[in-house]
Amino acid sequence: MAVPIVTIRNLSKVYAQGEIQVTALDKISLDISVGEFLTLMGPSGSGKSTLLHIIAGIDRPTSGECRVQDVDVTKLNESKLADWRNQNVGFIFQTFNLIPVLTAFENVELPLLLTRLGGNERKTRVQAALGLVGLGDRSHHLPKQLSGGQEQRVAIARALVTDPKLIVADEPTGNLDSNSAQDVLKVLQLLSREAGKTVIMVTHDPKAAAFGSRSIHLEKGELLK
Amino acid sequence: MTLATFIVKNALRNKRRATLSILSVAISLFLLVTLQVAMRELMNPINDEGSSLRIIVRNKVSLAQPLPARQLQVLDRIPGIVAVSPFSFFGGLYKGDEKFTSFAQFAVDPKRCGPLLSDAKLPPEQLQAWLADRTSCIVGKLTVDRYQLKIGDRMQFTGQYYPCDLELKVVGIYQGTADDRNVMFHQSYLDESLGKPGTVGTWWVRAASVDEAPLVTDRINKAFANSSAEVRAESERAFVLGFVSMWANIKTLITRISVVVLFALVLVAVSTMSMAIRERFRELAILKALGFKRRELFAFILAESVGLAVAGALIGGFGAWLVFTYMRVGGIVLALVALGLFAMCVYLLIKRQWLTGILALFAAMPVAMLGATLAQAGSIQGLTNGMFLLFEVTPQMLGLVFVVAGVLGVLAALAPMIAVARTSVVQGLKTLD
Repeated sequence: MAVPIVTIRNLSKVYAQGEIQVTALDKISLDISVGEFLTLMGPSGSGKSTLLHIIAGIDRPTSGECRVQDVDVTKLNESKLADWRNQNVGFIFQTFNLIPVLTAFENVELPLLLTRLGGNERKTRVQAALGLVGLGDRSHHLPKQLSGGQEQRVAIARALVTDPKLIVADEPTGNLDSNSAQDVLKVLQLLSREAGKTVIMVTHDPKAAAFGSRSIHLEKGELLK
Repeated sequence: MTLATFIVKNALRNKRRATLSILSVAISLFLLVTLQVAMRELMNPINDEGSSLRIIVRNKVSLAQPLPARQLQVLDRIPGIVAVSPFSFFGGLYKGDEKFTSFAQFAVDPKRCGPLLSDAKLPPEQLQAWLADRTSCIVGKLTVDRYQLKIGDRMQFTGQYYPCDLELKVVGIYQGTADDRNVMFHQSYLDESLGKPGTVGTWWVRAASVDEAPLVTDRINKAFANSSAEVRAESERAFVLGFVSMWANIKTLITRISVVVLFALVLVAVSTMSMAIRERFRELAILKALGFKRRELFAFILAESVGLAVAGALIGGFGAWLVFTYMRVGGIVLALVALGLFAMCVYLLIKRQWLTGILALFAAMPVAMLGATLAQAGSIQGLTNGMFLLFEVTPQMLGLVFVVAGVLGVLAALAPMIAVARTSVVQGLKTLD
């Protein structure tokens, strides 16, 4: 068995909506190995995004344990969790979520502003990340001057620039045409296979899931065996 | 990129809104400075050495009640007084002025009033001419310039308070006093025109020294206590402030207007910042996800809010200083700004940005008119028809403007900061763009 980077035990998340309680995750236990490209599938409301958010440290469970590299992220306070996210997690969202007033270069540089790296080191890293996603020549373009696929690749570069162990992607191809989607998925696959990054991706699309090394299904907050 | 660059780019992402916010702060703070300066000019009369030696003696009942001319003999014997002269405010309407004459006319005793007007510079031959001719007058340089008067001209006044009209011959032009607007003429000529009533408006007294002035004031008040015409002697400063207080509580009025201006300003700033932050809630959630802490997001919001307010303060505060200190230059600068706005309007209309283009046009028109008015007036005296001589924007007022801007920036940032603190990353990511 490969070394797990994420260890989840009895993880539950219950949302209280007035008097009604909605169980998004129900006592889930899961191990994710280093370098794995895991895809989370399931219908809307099955809890896959909630699970991804908890692993990435942007949401908290109601109960259970979620350890990433031996750190129980559910126990970290908000400030420590922010530092942990900056150093360990790269985010890719469905709607790209680039800052519209910043160039591709500046968007990628953004997470590095929280580090102690100097200007030259930041520049080298940003150029390397943009080069890896094939956008080295578009670094001074604003998001509105890029296509959807290019925007998503900039978002991948932003997720990579801090050299995190874990990359989480929430339906990264949901807003892309099939060609752009393939490009993005290939980059994620490359990151997992060549760079040893652990990629966790939420998707509805079985074709996208086929790029992963393992696929798990959730339904009504439970893992399907 | 630095965090500062990031903040500036965010603040200027909606240039129209940022410009309008800065201008609304600038205009409000300009108005605040104007009100503060006006209050200062009204409440703090010029306090030079001559002014601290001068004592004004008026009827205790009211300033409008005359004093008996015979009081002069008593005043002459009071120790500590080096000069005393009648000073009767005539308050006539100068020929040509329709409703209001901005300069005062005082009936004085030319032989006695020299020491009382020690600041005034008047050529000796003009002084001699004034002393020699009972119907003559001397006129302050500002009034001479304004009405383009010259030696030998005749000035006609219609009495507003006194039942007589006067015609005075200009024989001298003085300058160097704190208020070079007034016309001084012979009390004896006024007496004669009124049928020798034996009264004067007020007495102006010069004390021997600044230290002795309060004692002299006391002696004068005591000398006429329990007489048929009791007097109130007071320093020139107290007298002027008393005069101002006759316009009702102007300080309260100006203070209340200032508070209303500030309140409106806070509403505008809070609404602008709330809108600016609300529309990028999702981005702030992304920043949180990337590892930015709450305090860093607070700093972004605060810096942007305070930055916009301080930019407004710079334009409003220093604009007021420029306009009130170098009015003609200020007028020219405004005219250039108007020209720039017209050019911007044309450019925007060509680019089919109709709303911004029309806004630029609407902004250009009043700026152009204001610029023309200021350049034409040339000074605060010209602009206010001589009501204000000085309109000094002090460093304290500029300091106040920046303090107000700082507080405004903080207040405007509070609501967005609370909203950002309360929103989790997941909630923020669900926010629609």
